[in-house]
Amino acid sequence: MSDNRPLDFGQFWYSLGKELSEVPIAAETETLTMRSTDFADLYGIHISSIGPYAIYGYLSIPKGDGPFPVIYYVPKNASVLEIIPQGTSNQIRSRYITFSLACRGMRTADSPYAAMYPGQLTEGIESFSSYLYRGVVADTLRGLDFLLTCPSIDKSSIVAWGNDNALLAGALHGAVTHIVSTPSFLYDTINQASRTSSYPLEEFNDYLRHNPERKGQISEILSYYDLRFHSSAITAESLIMADYDGGLFDKKTLRNLTENMNGAVTVHPSERSSYKDGMFCEKWITDKLFGKDATPIVPNHWKLE
Amino acid sequence: MGVDRDYRCRVTKPEDFNEFWGLVLDELSSIELNVECEKDELRSDSEVTVYQIFYDSLDHVRISGWYSVPNTPVNRLPAILLVPGYQSDPPIPKDWSAKGYACLSVNPRGKVRSRSQFDPGYPGLLTHRIVDKNTYSYRGFYADAWRGIDFLLSRGEVDSERIGVAGSSQGGGLAITTSAMRKEIKAASAGAPYLCGFMDAIELTDTYPYQEINDYLRTYPDRLEEVESTLAYFDGISFADQIDCPIIVNLGLQDNVCPPETGYALFETIGSKDKKLFEYEGHGHEAGRYVHSGIMDQFFDKYLKG
Repeated sequence: MSDNRPLDFGQFWYSLGKELSEVPIAAETETLTMRSTDFADLYGIHISSIGPYAIYGYLSIPKGDGPFPVIYYVPKNASVLEIIPQGTSNQIRSRYITFSLACRGMRTADSPYAAMYPGQLTEGIESFSSYLYRGVVADTLRGLDFLLTCPSIDKSSIVAWGNDNALLAGALHGAVTHIVSTPSFLYDTINQASRTSSYPLEEFNDYLRHNPERKGQISEILSYYDLRFHSSAITAESLIMADYDGGLFDKKTLRNLTENMNGAVTVHPSERSSYKDGMFCEKWITDKLFGKDATPIVPNHWKLE
Repeated sequence: MGVDRDYRCRVTKPEDFNEFWGLVLDELSSIELNVECEKDELRSDSEVTVYQIFYDSLDHVRISGWYSVPNTPVNRLPAILLVPGYQSDPPIPKDWSAKGYACLSVNPRGKVRSRSQFDPGYPGLLTHRIVDKNTYSYRGFYADAWRGIDFLLSRGEVDSERIGVAGSSQGGGLAITTSAMRKEIKAASAGAPYLCGFMDAIELTDTYPYQEINDYLRTYPDRLEEVESTLAYFDGISFADQIDCPIIVNLGLQDNVCPPETGYALFETIGSKDKKLFEYEGHGHEAGRYVHSGIMDQFFDKYLKG
C-alpha cells in the first residue's frame, strides 16, 4: 500500500459527502413490537443512501424522557445485522439509544446486491468508481445523518462503535463525539494482509494472487480508505481496541493511526479474553459519558466477580 | 458469587425422542445427496484447494458449504466437519487443511449461501415455528449439519474411519448433536455450547441470541408449555447421553452468551467415557480460544491422525 496520502484525498471524500447530501434520507419507521420491552422500544428504519440504495437499521429508544446518549453500531464486515452485538446486555437499551445499521449487501439491505463474506471487501475493487466500499462508507455516514433527525438524542454523546468503519465515521462526520473501534482491515491493508492467511484480510491475498499485476492500482484505491490518512481528522475521544502485543494490529503497529489522531486516545491491547476486553470497553464508555461513579451495564455473567 | 458447577438444567428428554429423530433420519436418507463440488480458484492457494459445494437435505433444501483439502498428496485424509456459530458467517476452513485435514465448513439452511429456500433471519431463526417440533427451524438445521457427514463419506480422499466434528457456540451445540447422531464421528470438540439448556439459559442470561426466546414468550405468554415441549427435542442435553466418541468441551466461566452453568449440565450428561472438560476462568464467550486451540489440535491429532 502507498505510504502517502493521495493528493486528491480531500476532494474524493468531499465528492462523496456532496453526493450523499443530494440524496434524501427518506426515513420510514416501523415498530417492532416483539423486540420492544418494558424499558425500550425497537423500530425498523428504512433509509436511502447513494446509488440510490435502500439500507436498513434497528433503532432502540429507551422509555421515558430524553435526551439519551447514543451508541451507533456501524456496519460490519459480516452478513447478519444484530439489534445490539451478541453478548451485550439487553439492558444497555434502557440507558442508550442504540442504532445498528446494515450497509448495502448485508441482510435486510441485500436487494438488489447481496454481499458474500468473504467477498465484500474486494467487490468492484477494479476501479475507484466501482469499488463497493465507497458505498459502504456512504451508508455509514448516512446512519449518522438519520440519527441527527431523531428528537430524543443527546448530541453531545454520540458513540460510533465497531470496526474500522467507526473510525471512518469519526473522521468524515462531525456528529461523532466518541469512538470505540477495533481496526481489522483498513489500516495499511495490503501490507498487513501479507502478514496473515486469515480472513478478512486473506480476501486481499486471494485477489492479488490471481491479479498480481493490479497490486499498484489496488493499493492506490485502498489508500483513500486507509485509517492512517484519516487519523488527523478524528477529533472524537477514542478507545482503540488493539490486538495483543505481537498481534497483527497491536499497539505498536497502530501507532501511525493513534499518534496522529486529534482527540484523546486510549489504546487497549487485547487481553485475549472477550470478557476482560468487553469489561474494559463498558467501563470506558460509562466513565466518559456518565462519570467515574456510574456503574456500567454488563451481562449477568460479568457481574460474578 | 461464582458459577455453580453443580447446576443441572430442567430439560427432560422426551420419551419418544429417539422415535422423533429416527423418523427425521429416515426421511433424510430417502433424499438423494445430489452433490455439486466446484473448485474455487480464487480462494485456493499453493497449500490448499478450496471448493464450493452443495448438497440436498431435509425438505430438499439445498445446502452449501466450503470444502478444502491440503494440496500435499496423501492416500486418505482425516476429515473435520466444521459447524458454524449462530450469527457468524461460516468460514473457509483453509487453516484446518493447512494442518492436514479435509474439512467441510457447512452452511445450514438460513445461513448465507443457503438461504434461497428458507430464511427466517437473525433474529428469528431461534424461534421460527417453535411451537411445533415437526416444523421448528432446527429440525432441518440439525439435519443439514448431520448431512455434512454424508458429503464427507462421498469423497474418495476422505478416510471414513477418521472423521471428527468441531465447533464453538452454536457450533458447539451442533458438535454435540452431530456426534450423538452420527456414529461415524470418532472425535468431537464442543466449545461454549449453545442450544443446551434453553429454558435455563433464557433466565441465566440477558443477552441475544437467547433473548429471542424471551421476546417470543413476552409476546405469546400462553405458548410457554408448547415452547418448552418443542425445545426438549432439540436440547443438546437430550442428545448428550448418546455420545460415545472421545470428546472435549471448553467453557468460559464469564461467558455472556452461553451460560457456563448449562455447559456443566451438558458435560455431566455426555455418555462418552472419554470426555474432558476445560474451564477457563476470566474468559467470556471465546471460552479460552487462544489457549484452547492448541489443545484442540493435539486432541484431533491423537484421535484422527494417531
